[in-house]
Amino acid sequence: MLSDRFIPLLILLTLLLSACSRQPEIHNQRLLVFGTIIDISIVGVDKNTANNAFKIIEDDFKYMHEAWHAWQPGALGRINNLLPTTASFTIAPSMLPVIQKATALSDQSNHLFNPAIGNLIRAWGFHSNDLPTKLPDQKTIHELVKQNPTMDDLELNGITMRSRNSAMLLDMGAFAKGYGIDVGIENLRKLGIDNAIINAGGDLRAIGKKGDRNWRIGVRHPRNNSILASIEMQGDESIFTSGDYERFFDHEGKRYHHIIDPRTGYPADKTTSVTVIHSDGATADAAATALFIAGPEQWHAIARQMNIKYVMLIDKHGHIHMNPAMQKRIRFVTDTQPEITISEPL
Amino acid sequence: MTRTDYIVVILALCALPWLYIKYWSTNDTATNVIISTYDNKKIILPLSENKTINVKGPMGENIIEINNNKARFINSPCPNKICIHSGWLEDTNDVAACLPNGVSISIGNRHQEFDAINF
Repeated sequence: MLSDRFIPLLILLTLLLSACSRQPEIHNQRLLVFGTIIDISIVGVDKNTANNAFKIIEDDFKYMHEAWHAWQPGALGRINNLLPTTASFTIAPSMLPVIQKATALSDQSNHLFNPAIGNLIRAWGFHSNDLPTKLPDQKTIHELVKQNPTMDDLELNGITMRSRNSAMLLDMGAFAKGYGIDVGIENLRKLGIDNAIINAGGDLRAIGKKGDRNWRIGVRHPRNNSILASIEMQGDESIFTSGDYERFFDHEGKRYHHIIDPRTGYPADKTTSVTVIHSDGATADAAATALFIAGPEQWHAIARQMNIKYVMLIDKHGHIHMNPAMQKRIRFVTDTQPEITISEPL
Repeated sequence: MTRTDYIVVILALCALPWLYIKYWSTNDTATNVIISTYDNKKIILPLSENKTINVKGPMGENIIEINNNKARFINSPCPNKICIHSGWLEDTNDVAACLPNGVSISIGNRHQEFDAINF
């Protein structure tokens, strides 16, 4: 017979075990669309709902990739063919909000995020699936920098548009992924999905939770494959990183990467990577690029202008800069704690 | 409590650590290669078993090698061979893909410390 003293012990042990929660059912899908690897995780719905969502997102990302491609036929491709004429032309209405959001973010970033410099990026040879092997002609670069196309050179009038600057070519590379993820998350919500991650090639937005805990993200080290830090997402947040390791080529011992400083026409050379957390993906994406170009001295001012609250910048010497709010959230998982410069609050 | 009750309680307490390790603990060593194909099929193979796998896609066949707890693309019908240039994958969450042929490989385990990797 079990005595009265045993019963409370049994209850205690049961409670201890019940405190451990098993992982909730999670639906994962990998899609090779949008020119990258897209991993989607969904929690809290049945398998049919999740599979239906995967299908919708796959179709949508395929469409967006085609429509927003800077140098292949599509809605943006057509715009780019017509911009140099400086004449007025009609555009696909679905491009309007994309261009308007990009313009607003470009203005906030003092045009460090500048989607109008497609010609510069093309001159560097990054408008190709193959990586460049040689440096661009210096004169071409100087000329394009002098012409200084920005989003403010665009005139939008209903569904027509024209550019006042014939050197303008739109390249949404630093923005499309974020905007696309936002569209994907919006679609998930409409399907009744409140807990999910859409991760497009390492940049992601997470909504809700994974069961009873927050989504846990590992931030990769910019110089090797290990994990540098861990961050928990709080409800609905995007985390985007821009790095000099994403697309680059080496020439005579020097690395030339794809994040071009519109002020110089050359790859921004003071930063290794920038990680930004913000509610929407489009803003996080554009800010990661702008702050990368701003570098260790100017990132703080630009982050304030763009209303970004969490930033980690690793400069070209490997030194880490961040704001106090970011420091509170991030946990370094490396063997030795890195040296960090903490900025003024954002 | 009788003597038998004490024995039952002690045995139950002894079983707790074992139960915890078996059901709740995380083992973060990379153990599997997850191959995703263009038609959304998943092939999961142990990293410990040396093997060469041919995976068909719309462009042709990718050949994937698993050797010495690592995996890589060794042949691909795509033009740029980015998948092959990705080299060996060995850490959890490492990933490489042949986008044109719709084939990707990643390294995973049963319990993952992170839900996603940002880079």
